Amino acid sequence: MAMTKTAGPVLTNGGVPPFQEGRIKIRVLSKANIAIRLTMLILAVLTIVGFATFNYQGVHLLKGLMSTLANFKTIFFQPQFAHFTLLEAIYQLFITLSLGVLTTLIGAIIALFLGMLAAENLSNKTVSNSIKGFVAVIRAVPTVLWVLIFAVSAGLGSVAAVIGMSFHSISYLTKAYSESFEELNQGTIEALEGCGASWWQIVCQAVLPSSLTSLISWTFIRFEINFGVSVAMGAAAGAGGIGYDMFMDSAFYYNLHEMGVITYLILIVAMLLEFMSIKIKNKVRA
Amino acid sequence: MTTLLQFKNVSKQYGNSTVALSDVNFSVNEGELVSIIGPSGAGKSTLLRCINRLIDATSGEIIFDGADMLKINKKHDLRALRTKIGMIFQNYNLVERLSVFENVLHGRLGYKSALVGALGLYNENEKKQAIKIIQSLGLNEQVYKRCDQLSGGQKQRVGIARALVQEPRVLLADEPIASLDPNSSKVIMDHLKNICTTLGITVLVNLHQLDVALNYSDRIIGISGGRVVYDGLPANLTDEDIRRIYGSDPEALNLIIQKPKEVAQKI
Ligand SMILES: Nc1ncnc2c1ncn2[C@@H]1O[C@H](COP(=O)(O)OP(=O)(O)O)[C@@H](O)[C@H]1O
Ligand SMILES: [Mg+2]
Repeated sequence: MAMTKTAGPVLTNGGVPPFQEGRIKIRVLSKANIAIRLTMLILAVLTIVGFATFNYQGVHLLKGLMSTLANFKTIFFQPQFAHFTLLEAIYQLFITLSLGVLTTLIGAIIALFLGMLAAENLSNKTVSNSIKGFVAVIRAVPTVLWVLIFAVSAGLGSVAAVIGMSFHSISYLTKAYSESFEELNQGTIEALEGCGASWWQIVCQAVLPSSLTSLISWTFIRFEINFGVSVAMGAAAGAGGIGYDMFMDSAFYYNLHEMGVITYLILIVAMLLEFMSIKIKNKVRA
Repeated sequence: MTTLLQFKNVSKQYGNSTVALSDVNFSVNEGELVSIIGPSGAGKSTLLRCINRLIDATSGEIIFDGADMLKINKKHDLRALRTKIGMIFQNYNLVERLSVFENVLHGRLGYKSALVGALGLYNENEKKQAIKIIQSLGLNEQVYKRCDQLSGGQKQRVGIARALVQEPRVLLADEPIASLDPNSSKVIMDHLKNICTTLGITVLVNLHQLDVALNYSDRIIGISGGRVVYDGLPANLTDEDIRRIYGSDPEALNLIIQKPKEVAQKI
């Protein structure tokens, strides 16, 4: 092997082959890296092929784009009340929020117990695996679909929305909680067992204090999700709330100005939620 | 001297193939400090955990304070007996997010009903006793600190405090100094020795370091491949015995080169 002499000190890295000439790589291509690149490439190709082969049915792409932008302009720059007042809108927003809170709460309470049974360090392998498998199946079906499934027996409306959304929240939070519980190492549990502590004592004195931050974070994340789903459920499942007004504005009154108001209201709430979640996390961590 | 703990033909098998302990016999007197030495995988941790039933031995009898530990079936009885057995660990095994005080009080959980313990309700006597023990271990200034802010040596002292508030008859220590620097190691070993001599608590300590074992123990039990291959005074341990315990473990061979007694005098 030919080595070029350099004026400065030469780095010798015992046994490791020296860097090749040219650019130095920062990252080594791993399997995950390759998979990500491949996925991106396939998505790009599919997008191009998709646009080329769409059935536009006489809608001109550019014209369509322009009128969509015009609609956005109406929504975002000319918001205006028409069918209800601000107070009424806030009341509807409150209903939507309540739907989010209720379903998150139901989900959190049930998931807390299921999560303990699903955590490998608190349960046995068989129970843990069967619960984890079960909730994985539930999670694989989107929330909206669960609502529609329950609507078969409960009828389209708020009942189906509450049951369907809670159902999905339970499975989501069970997975999240059980993983938080599993972060407490087996040794600590062993130590407390050795002191003569009972299972519930270990849960309350070691597992819950150790995982409190993540439990709260996960619950809040799920609440943000449920708020979004509640808006959609108002429209899709007739669950009431701000989503229903939005649906009426877009599908019946075709009032984009009022839709703008609603969009802003939802945006404000979403930002408040985000702000609160950051605050809570900081407080718990301190 | 009364016998506090006795192993009779104890064996432990993991699964179908791994024999961790085979036909182990020994007894420990009240107030003794006994070191259990042996290479990695010899079965030291398994042996200690069989005593408080964190691991169930496959066969044999373990007589502790007159009762056969292996015959205890009821959860309640097992919890009651475990309160008499304190244990400390290489990795301390504290609840890192809780304070020193809370961790130490955990040692009282075994005495409480499930609900009272779960709620973390301790009486003033227990708190007083806990503070006293914390002070005796030199942790006065750390009482309300969270355990994740402590050094390794401090964490291990919290572990000892947690074991001591149990008011145990015996203290089991599984490689208590394996993660510590020499200075902290000495502090911890001195505390263990002190607990043994002044409080009269029997101490069983797993050690990887032969020199420490020679210096601190009243008696040494050497195990290798799950069998007891030495049981006697530190002073009587010969090079031959050491070779039998450690085999060709390179780490230990360094020590064999020096005569054990010379090693002991150096500390
Ligand atoms: N939970 C377990 N399952 C299966 N085998 C184990 C388990 N714990 C320990 N062993 C095996 O038992 C033997 C003794 O282990 P251990 O008691 O941890 O030894 P030491 O503490 O002396 O290093 C080792 O061969 C180890 O691999
Ligand atoms: Mg070990």
